[in-house]
Amino acid sequence: MKFCFMDVKSNNNPKTNNRFWYALDNAAKIFPAIITREVTSVIRISAKLAEPVHIEAFRKAVLMAENRFPYYLVQLRKGFFWYYLEHLPHHILVEPDDKECCRKFEKGDLLLRFLLWENSISLEVSHILTDGGGAFEFLRTVLILYFQECGVAIPEDFLYKKPQEKWSEEEFEDAYQRYFKEEIPPLVRRSKAFHLPFSLNMSPRFHRTIVNVSMGDIKRVAKDNRVSITVYLAAVYLYNLQDVFEHLNPISKLKMSKVLRVQVPVNLRNIFSSQTMRNFSLFVMPEIDLRLGHYSFEEILRSVYHQMELETEEKLINKNISRNVGSEKKIYVRSIPLFVKSLILKAKFNSLGTSQFSGVVTNLGRVDLPPEVADKIDHFVLTAPPPNKMLKISCAVVGFKERLTLCFGSVAKSDEFEKRFVRFLNENNISSESEELNLINS
Amino acid sequence: MKHCPNCGVALDENANFCSLCGEPLLERNEANLAFIETRRQQREDKLLTEYQKLSGFQKRRLFLKISAMILLSGIFITLIIDFVTKGDFTWSRYPVTVGLALLLNITMGTFWYCREILWGGLSFLSSAVLLVLLDIYSGNSGWGMQLGIPLLFAAYVTVFILIRLIRLTSQKGLNVIAYALLTTGILSICTDGIINLYKTDLVNFGWSLIVMASAIIVSLLLLYVHFRLKKVTDLKRFFHI
Repeated sequence: MKFCFMDVKSNNNPKTNNRFWYALDNAAKIFPAIITREVTSVIRISAKLAEPVHIEAFRKAVLMAENRFPYYLVQLRKGFFWYYLEHLPHHILVEPDDKECCRKFEKGDLLLRFLLWENSISLEVSHILTDGGGAFEFLRTVLILYFQECGVAIPEDFLYKKPQEKWSEEEFEDAYQRYFKEEIPPLVRRSKAFHLPFSLNMSPRFHRTIVNVSMGDIKRVAKDNRVSITVYLAAVYLYNLQDVFEHLNPISKLKMSKVLRVQVPVNLRNIFSSQTMRNFSLFVMPEIDLRLGHYSFEEILRSVYHQMELETEEKLINKNISRNVGSEKKIYVRSIPLFVKSLILKAKFNSLGTSQFSGVVTNLGRVDLPPEVADKIDHFVLTAPPPNKMLKISCAVVGFKERLTLCFGSVAKSDEFEKRFVRFLNENNISSESEELNLINS
Repeated sequence: MKHCPNCGVALDENANFCSLCGEPLLERNEANLAFIETRRQQREDKLLTEYQKLSGFQKRRLFLKISAMILLSGIFITLIIDFVTKGDFTWSRYPVTVGLALLLNITMGTFWYCREILWGGLSFLSSAVLLVLLDIYSGNSGWGMQLGIPLLFAAYVTVFILIRLIRLTSQKGLNVIAYALLTTGILSICTDGIINLYKTDLVNFGWSLIVMASAIIVSLLLLYVHFRLKKVTDLKRFFHI
């Protein structure tokens, strides 16, 4: 599908039928089919400031950012064959943060919102619109504009999406299409993975536990082991999954799959040169197979390191993109009506998606802001989209100054997994402490 | 710079209301103190009175209060009408006894929700007494003891097992419907047997076997779909309703 991106200013009459629209990118196509009231596919990034947010300055910053990112002012519409995103001439909502976290976006709404409470600014974005990387770039711009409004001088040479610049077409391209190569063999299907056997929380199920980790400690330990922080955390995740599995009763052990696999999203903007502000990430899935016996932590760490190195290789990533994009390009897939396609996508998401991995570790990396702005911010919290009933727990990570913040989003009743995780970090000389988040927090 | 007393954001000095949450921004002086306190109280009350925020026990107690009001007023009105029209308590004995038994059961359910055996046992006793009383009112033909109580016992045992089974199930979906169907089948067999025993003094089964066979076939199909085909099946989403 081609973009029909017209000048936004000439099209802000809500009654006009010639609003700009664009097709969902390849990664976003699955989300409309799987979204429910509990599994909302909404990402949340929060910035906790040193002082209370000045509401008027913040509104001005959001208005300026809206002009810079017009491709985010869209709503989800249903076509006959696919969903698509259509321009919606509304302002981005700025609301008090006193409701549930990662709430579903209703029909006819924009797919992003700002939530404020005391000194916290949170951006919630639907995964249909963009991934964590794109959402963070947007929040970063809004934060810089906000502090500029508050009188903070931003260095001229600091790179960010300045409101006076015009957007480039590359920012709203479907980058998967650009890097798609035809005639690449498809990926071999993986076996089913182990899933945490915890019972589910009462509705509303989703709750979060924040773990504050010392950046210095984790950096030192990761460096000693010659791995990155992401690899280290994925290994800790797998080690804890193994621990949970080994404490199961013999009958449950027999029933459960013995393959433990962690999904680690990779920001493809770092691998392929792309400016896109829409979804552009893929997953690697390091695994351990407990049928081969007990793994020591060092063994897991080595294995995860090598698997990640191998899977983030450009050619293998290309193979993944080709699998995903290739299937959407097939004529028989394109000609299936949307309601049938939604059923198939939902089934595929369960069989090819969630059933193949036991957990998620997503790392946004270290936040880069001008020192003048960084001084005014205490920390960031990234919340991954609420996991479904099968996955139960996911972990999102973001680093800022001397603090690495882990956020465990969970729909399980028990917080055993989170506690094990913190205990393991502390035992390995990485000082960390956890706090349960209330409704109004972060 | 002012700060909103509700959401805590900073506002311009001349603002009268918080532009984020709509809270009025008043100086804390003699004239405004009462209003500020009322707002604070209202906010807290709003949080407390939201039905979703009540605990399970609070919700059950609320249900008990409402049912007690309806049932007791119903009993009272029935008694008065009966007494005024007939000069005695005749037909009103039926609704009054049923109403009291119902109230007793709801009360037990409110306080002993988690103690199923105690609640189930006492509920069975009260319902058995109710049946015997109804039998006595209607001429004491003996159906209460011979037919009513065995049927009641079968119903209590099967439903009790069903509830236990559902509570033990971690993944609730089509399997719950399958268990309910199987329970219905078993209950039909019990009912058929008890009625035949009461009528002919012989234990034989007729129609209930057909019900049971159908229930088994459908349940097996549902259990297969639940356990083998899809783990996370949201029916609404699956059928795209």
